[in-house]
Amino acid sequence: MAAHDVRDMLDLPDSGSSRPAKKQKLTAPRPVLKGLAREVQNLSGDNPIAIVPEVSAFKKKRYGSRKPVAQWEQKPFRNSARDGDPLVLKHWRRKAERLPAPPVGGDGDGDVEMEGAVASQPEEMVEDSTFAKYNVRVNVPEYTEDEYNAKLQNQDWTKLETDHLVGLAYEYDLRWPVIWDRYEPPLPAPDAADSLLGLVLPPRTRTMEELKARYYSVAATMMAERKPPIKMNSAEFNLHEVMSNFNPTIETARKKFAEAAFQRTKEEAREEESLLLELKRILARSDKLNEERRELYARLEAPPSTGNIGIYSSSQGLQQLLQQLMQASKKRKSLLGNEGISPAAGPSQQASFERRDSSSVRESISGPSGSNNKKGPTQGPSERRQLTEEEERIYGVSHHERIGTSGAVFRHERISKPLISKSSVQQTKIANVLVELDIPNRLIMPTVEVGEAYESLLQSINTLLDARKMADKLDGEIKLARQQKEEREKAARLERGEAIEGDEVGNNKTEKEKEREKSVARSVRGGSVARSVRGGSQGHKRSASVLSAASDKSTKKQRR
Amino acid sequence: MAASQPLTSRLTYTAEASSSSYSPRRINIANHCPTTDEVSAIILDPGYSSVRAGFAGEDTPKSFVNSHYGVSDAGKFTFGDDAIHNPLAGLDIRNPMSKEGIVEDWDTATQLWEYAITSRLTSFKQSDPRINGLNDPSELAMDIEEVEEGERTLGEHPLLMTETAWNTTKNREKAIEVAMESWGCPAFWLARNSVMAAFGGGKATSLVIDVAPPPPHVQKSPIAGNWLSSQLRSLFSSTEPRVNLVPHFAIASKTAVDAGVPAQATYRKYENKIPDSFRALEEERVLTEFKESVVQVWNGMGRLNTVNANGASNTDYVKTLPGRTFEFPDGANQMWGVERMSVAEGLFDERAALPVPNEPALTKAQTIPEMVRQSLAAVDIDLRPHLLGNVVVTGGTTLINGFTDRLHNELTAMYPGARVKIQAAGLTAERRFGSWIGGSILGSLGTFHQMWISRKEYEEFGVNVVEKRCK
Repeated sequence: MAAHDVRDMLDLPDSGSSRPAKKQKLTAPRPVLKGLAREVQNLSGDNPIAIVPEVSAFKKKRYGSRKPVAQWEQKPFRNSARDGDPLVLKHWRRKAERLPAPPVGGDGDGDVEMEGAVASQPEEMVEDSTFAKYNVRVNVPEYTEDEYNAKLQNQDWTKLETDHLVGLAYEYDLRWPVIWDRYEPPLPAPDAADSLLGLVLPPRTRTMEELKARYYSVAATMMAERKPPIKMNSAEFNLHEVMSNFNPTIETARKKFAEAAFQRTKEEAREEESLLLELKRILARSDKLNEERRELYARLEAPPSTGNIGIYSSSQGLQQLLQQLMQASKKRKSLLGNEGISPAAGPSQQASFERRDSSSVRESISGPSGSNNKKGPTQGPSERRQLTEEEERIYGVSHHERIGTSGAVFRHERISKPLISKSSVQQTKIANVLVELDIPNRLIMPTVEVGEAYESLLQSINTLLDARKMADKLDGEIKLARQQKEEREKAARLERGEAIEGDEVGNNKTEKEKEREKSVARSVRGGSVARSVRGGSQGHKRSASVLSAASDKSTKKQRR
Repeated sequence: MAASQPLTSRLTYTAEASSSSYSPRRINIANHCPTTDEVSAIILDPGYSSVRAGFAGEDTPKSFVNSHYGVSDAGKFTFGDDAIHNPLAGLDIRNPMSKEGIVEDWDTATQLWEYAITSRLTSFKQSDPRINGLNDPSELAMDIEEVEEGERTLGEHPLLMTETAWNTTKNREKAIEVAMESWGCPAFWLARNSVMAAFGGGKATSLVIDVAPPPPHVQKSPIAGNWLSSQLRSLFSSTEPRVNLVPHFAIASKTAVDAGVPAQATYRKYENKIPDSFRALEEERVLTEFKESVVQVWNGMGRLNTVNANGASNTDYVKTLPGRTFEFPDGANQMWGVERMSVAEGLFDERAALPVPNEPALTKAQTIPEMVRQSLAAVDIDLRPHLLGNVVVTGGTTLINGFTDRLHNELTAMYPGARVKIQAAGLTAERRFGSWIGGSILGSLGTFHQMWISRKEYEEFGVNVVEKRCK
């Protein structure tokens, strides 16, 4: 049902005068679908229904509007990469559409009249090949005779050989396998041979490493000669570095390794493959473990409430909190994934601990501005790029030993607090010594010498204190040993049958003394004491037997 | 250096190819592809069995001419397959090339190549643009005399010729002399056919294994298509019943016989004796047919005579496979079982090679795997994995069933640590004309045009310019 039918039914006036006309225009070219009632067709409205495929009949092309056939011609061209060689080849090119005015011919009246000029025209209009620009050659070092004598002398290489090598490098674009293959040491010039008399060595073949080493050394030297390394840009500098650091022995060793790896047997290859597979599996497992651990930490995190709750006292603040909570709960679901993706989270356990400290999720809940700055503290330090050794050299970064890791400090600060010691006890001790020596805590005239002397003094005080500590300790030990010895002698006397006397002696002993004996014995024999305790009833007997057992053992030990 | 020379020539310097973005695989005609720039150069790839010639930028040579030619009693030369297979009394069949792919008879070779070029390429000239109606009629009024300017064969076509890696300096100089003096080429280039085969395979660096009538280029070895023919001959002479190789031209009629039964054919009688060289040529055609339809390379695990854990050798397994029947021109036919594999086994295993009379026995160094090993040993270690990853197989004999699989098996067994990838063109034509296609790619590259040896250079430096430039 077409739109105007609806209008008809509803008695609506045709909207606007131009519209229906336009519509008719639109519907007019619509193909008439055969086999379909007109009413059915009208139902579709403006969009034609595609039930019956349209049969595309062959249509004759209108020749009137067609462009004339493209014209091609064989155009001569030359190649400027051929070093001025006048080889002119021809290729097919689209004929230019009626040149507006041939620049050389002067009067461009048309092709028909140019017949006479046809012969000369191509000569002048020979174009250059578009491929000439691809003719790129490598830059090889150039040197003069004097430069060679001054800088590039090498007892292993003659100038003739070096020239030959550099020539080959230029010719074969530094393809070393080819250069190595084509390198044939040139025979020395006859006059040189005469001067050397019988010393003409047979031209020796050289390994690729020798060739490379020579070439790189020549190239690096000449590069530095032309432009000092300080003035080079980074690319040049890198090249210079690489070339001057070439080490043929390492290269040879590498090739040997490569050869060994290349000639693996089948079993070795299979073993290596299986090992690699195993490694892969282990890594995968450790990854999985780390992930699980991270998840565990994420769950165990206690919420550090660092935020200020004052902000939530207003209704606006509460609204904000609610929103944050909603977001957080959403985030919680994808917590694991987020953590995995986050670049700040390292795979190691250490990283996950750090991460726990600066927790992202909880902070975002507790702090009002959590989600915005949560990555700030964790990412900040990692973003500061660490310079590699090479870069430091390029940028001229140097480190001073005086400046520690804590950064630059004023030297006078060392005067104000010269005592750097671990414990405050030690510090007070040192201070006491200084007081004893009548030296003020703060130097009055801190010159370099005085400072050094002061420092050495402190050093020796330190050693002195240490020595005293040691002496005290030793003293204590000696005392202890003496006591033990006395006890032992006493015990020995007891053993020698002076039981009654011993009893008396034992009875005379105060409880305190007994206790001490016991502890000494314990300290001597340790745990064996308990075992050697027999089921004695009296305290003194017990102590005696303990001691005897102890001495028994000690004598045994001595005998041994 | 001599040992590595044939191989390392494969790493030949190709500034023209690498300095541009080189997209070798399919050649787009004319200007669609930005790397090509057609100058209607002609590529000539002569070999022992055939001469291939065509325009650069096309995917197959337009002209494919048998290298054998006929010489009649009167000293008249006939070229081409149409003429030389006629059993004429005085027709002697000769070949200007040696079996190693080096030209021996320059006079005839020149004529043969000229025939290859002019019969299909340059003599078939496009009709003059002024009269064929394709162009603007306003330009019709031009001088017609100019049409006859092309009296020299290749007056306006640069010529790119291929050569074997072991070609001699003298031969190379002769080649440029012929091209410049006799044919009047404006420009000339001589390229190694192994390098061209690598190009045809789409590689700038590769290990080329070319098993074609000229011997393989990896290292020189007699084993190749003709060697396989001689193997077949010794196989035929040793089988029971003995196979009598009679070429088609000698058969007048034949009757169908059962397998293994002597042939019942009537032979054609010639009044004058047909030269032996002609008969050899025709026998070779039968052998080629046999190779194409019957011969196969064992492509399972190991070698044909390898004995597995059960004590059964691969030969026993092959015996259980159905054989193939081949009917010779005289009607004799026979089922070929294990023989069809054992005859080609010598390509890989020197002990399996059949003894050929009047020829030294095959040594181990001449088998394909051993040649690959020697080639690899000759190059730098850094290149070896790269070469093994780019093994280009070309030449008609490699089309024998199972050849590529077997080669892959052999190479992986030899170098288990390295990744072996064999590049073998799937299309028969691409395999057969590998080096020609490479030449076609090279000749149509826009960046190659700076490399040509121009006529002026030739005139300036003489023939030895070819030694200086094409290396």
